[in-house]
Amino acid sequence: MPGTILENLSGRKLSVLVTILVLSQLACFLVGLISPSPASTQSILATVCVDDKPQDDKLNHWFDLGCSKKIHLEREESTIGLDANNLVFAMQMPLHGQDYSSWQQNLVGELQIDVIYKEGQKLSNPMIELLLDARIAYSDKTKDGGRTPWKYYTHSQTKRFMDCIFNETFVKDGYPYDCTMVPLFELGSLFHDYYLLNLRLPYDKKKEINTGLGRVSDIYLHTIHMNGGFTKVWVSLKTVFFPIILAIMIWFWNRVHSLSRKPALLEYMLISLGGTLAFLDLPIEYFTLYFDMPYMLFLSDIRQGVFYAMLLSFWLVFTGEHMLIQETGEKNSLRKYWKHLSSVAVGCVSLLIFDLCERGVHLVNPFYSIWVTPLGTNLALTFVICAGLSAGIYFAFLCYMIWRVFKNISIKRSVLPSMTQARRLHYEGIIYRFCFLMFATLICAAVTICSFLLSQYVQGEKKYDENMDLELTSVIHTGVYGMWNVYICALLMLYAPSHKRWPSEPICAEGEEVEFSRLSNDTSTPNEISSLTSFVAKANIE
Amino acid sequence: MRFSEKFRRKFIIMIQCLGYLLLGLFWTNPTTALRRSFTNGTWMRMGMIMDEMMQNDQGSPSCKALPGLSPGQARLCQLYLDHMNAVAMGAKQALNECKHQFQNRRWNCSLLDDVNVFGPVITIASRETAFAHALAAAGVVHSISRACRDGQLSSCGCSRMERPKDLRKEWVWGGCGDNLEYGYRFTQNFVDVREKERKFKRGTREQGRALMNLHNNEAGRRAVIKKSKVTCKCHGVSGSCSLITCWQQLANFREIGDYLRDKYDGATEVRVNRRGRLQLRDPQVTIPTAYDLVYLEDSPDYCERNDITGSLGTQGRPCNRTSPDIDGCNILCCGRGYNTIKSIVKERCQCKFKWCCEVECKTCVISLDTHTCK
Repeated sequence: MPGTILENLSGRKLSVLVTILVLSQLACFLVGLISPSPASTQSILATVCVDDKPQDDKLNHWFDLGCSKKIHLEREESTIGLDANNLVFAMQMPLHGQDYSSWQQNLVGELQIDVIYKEGQKLSNPMIELLLDARIAYSDKTKDGGRTPWKYYTHSQTKRFMDCIFNETFVKDGYPYDCTMVPLFELGSLFHDYYLLNLRLPYDKKKEINTGLGRVSDIYLHTIHMNGGFTKVWVSLKTVFFPIILAIMIWFWNRVHSLSRKPALLEYMLISLGGTLAFLDLPIEYFTLYFDMPYMLFLSDIRQGVFYAMLLSFWLVFTGEHMLIQETGEKNSLRKYWKHLSSVAVGCVSLLIFDLCERGVHLVNPFYSIWVTPLGTNLALTFVICAGLSAGIYFAFLCYMIWRVFKNISIKRSVLPSMTQARRLHYEGIIYRFCFLMFATLICAAVTICSFLLSQYVQGEKKYDENMDLELTSVIHTGVYGMWNVYICALLMLYAPSHKRWPSEPICAEGEEVEFSRLSNDTSTPNEISSLTSFVAKANIE
Repeated sequence: MRFSEKFRRKFIIMIQCLGYLLLGLFWTNPTTALRRSFTNGTWMRMGMIMDEMMQNDQGSPSCKALPGLSPGQARLCQLYLDHMNAVAMGAKQALNECKHQFQNRRWNCSLLDDVNVFGPVITIASRETAFAHALAAAGVVHSISRACRDGQLSSCGCSRMERPKDLRKEWVWGGCGDNLEYGYRFTQNFVDVREKERKFKRGTREQGRALMNLHNNEAGRRAVIKKSKVTCKCHGVSGSCSLITCWQQLANFREIGDYLRDKYDGATEVRVNRRGRLQLRDPQVTIPTAYDLVYLEDSPDYCERNDITGSLGTQGRPCNRTSPDIDGCNILCCGRGYNTIKSIVKERCQCKFKWCCEVECKTCVISLDTHTCK
């Protein structure tokens, strides 16, 4: 006897369940209140050290804040007799005698190069091509409070572009150009306590290396790291959700298997959706505390990607299965949806390739950027556009299908008044609950979009005058994350097959019992899981 | 140790009281005497002796060696000894900027080798004084924020002035705060403490002066924040914008100087009322915001040399013959006329910059007319 819990649950029980779900949703928002913002920055001003012997280029020779000869670039007298190869910009991360913790997860480095305008020395080209020789070393705390010597971590010579604008109407000596930031590196793990960046800007007139560079006054490195507090809250959320979703999945699958029929397509979709969510919830972040896992960023991208791909496909299949038009005798399978699902597949695969090109290469070279070569830029753009296009096609498909479902529902609704009262009430309830779930999906999507827009607005509009202790960004992140967890838990619970035989509900008239039994005979085909669809099939027969 | 320090502090206070008593005994002209007690030097002098300080030793200076600190500032100096180099840098930067901004005006921000740095001019609650205070405060905010990013200071941003013992925990949990905010707060404590140390009778000139300084210091501090630029970076999944982080980019000090010079030009004249508040002198003018400069008294005449007001006069100053503006000979020389000297000079011209540190120039020979005020 097919039929889901959603249709057979009494109104009281349903309201209790919904209340519990809403409460756990609220709890997720409240959890966000205690956590700090997801990420913090630290701006580090480079110390300019002088390398007396630039020719013997040893990779184990490091310049840190304690280097013997320092100069200030703005004092012209201190740079006499030096050339570009002598200068080493040393940045020690983090500042203020702090040290990184594995809880801080990852590190992004952005370079700000202040180029000063001097009278009569205008930049020849506002688009400056930079060649950066960047090396990173690490060091750890020793037990007696000291530090281990700097050890080589990675190094690379990379090209970057910097766009500098200078307002012609406002030309003044000593003003800086308005230059864009230069993304420098992305470390997938913060396993060591201290990191050191040694940056060189070599000059070669013949090879045209750094010839477009103007008078540099300062170089800042802006580092972005996750906040330990946020990671803790995030991982605890995952630790709570993971066993819950696992338990619900086991319960759901048991229920499906206790039926005499084979599991329907929608049930396969639901269990795989639960599976991808469990994969997303799996708190493997705990391992980063004990092992150096630079592939964590990539892995979390993959986990999110798999989850979103599954969620998008599920929506398609879900709407398709409620199309209310039964092609009798044919068992529904994924093959029926290949046209629709291929848009999801194309989008996800192109994003995966893009991710492999950027984050995948970061595993080998943290300084790599796909955007610096024309070929790489075109390639990256192709994949991003491809993903965007397929997302557009997907949504067009989905909207069209939803529109058809609602059209069908309204057609069938017009037939409703001709039915007997008990049946009508029953079917109206089913349609109502179905619409309710569609509505919930819509709300979840809308809340997600709005909250991310809001969080970006909040970040961009930070004011100094008001002291905001509440971290809206982290509240939004935990809230939205919790919302999707709750949403999928609700789907798994409400769309699990029901054991209850709904005709056993109190029915007043005798004649109707006959009708119901006839209906139930019709709907015993395994491909129909919802009595809503069976109702439509019945209506079609009539 | 603690006792002796307490004793020493008491001793200092006693000596101070004695000093005021003596001063009171020999009061001849109350106003000048009051002025003198009010301006026992200024901390801005730290900027002038900056180079000597740096040459003597690379480490932090001792607070006793620093000139012009008020008792409250000396206390802060002891607490934040490592900040003092940055404060001195800030003062120096402000003095240089002041000279640059006023090089073509009647008052050219002339620095004198006395305790007041600017000479007696600074004791007059004029526009120029307002500008000098704002610029100095801005210089310290800028310099402290910069020093924070340099790794020179041990704990900025991570603490709100106090240094908690579990700093590491805080850092791992939520990261360090913004350096600009820290610079603002430190400067607020360090610069404003002078004006808050002594209590004046409400509505007196001295109280008005303290209020004016506080207002202008705040305007200077805010100028640094106002001119800073917010930059954001997306770093979510595959570089998408699901996570966005923003930070403040410090402005070049020249930009801050230009901004404050504009504020100087639009400064508002105020007076202190009986309730001890600042009030507009001309009710028709718009009320100044926290970003605007205010002053109490008219500027002295900077045309002629006057040792009492501290004006050096404009005699001998170079001027621009063709300019109708404030740097033109007409205005700068106060109608006294000018001398012209013809000379032929060799100059560097058509310069081309070569990274890192070379400027390739040609030498041009030009004849130059220099005009100086009579």
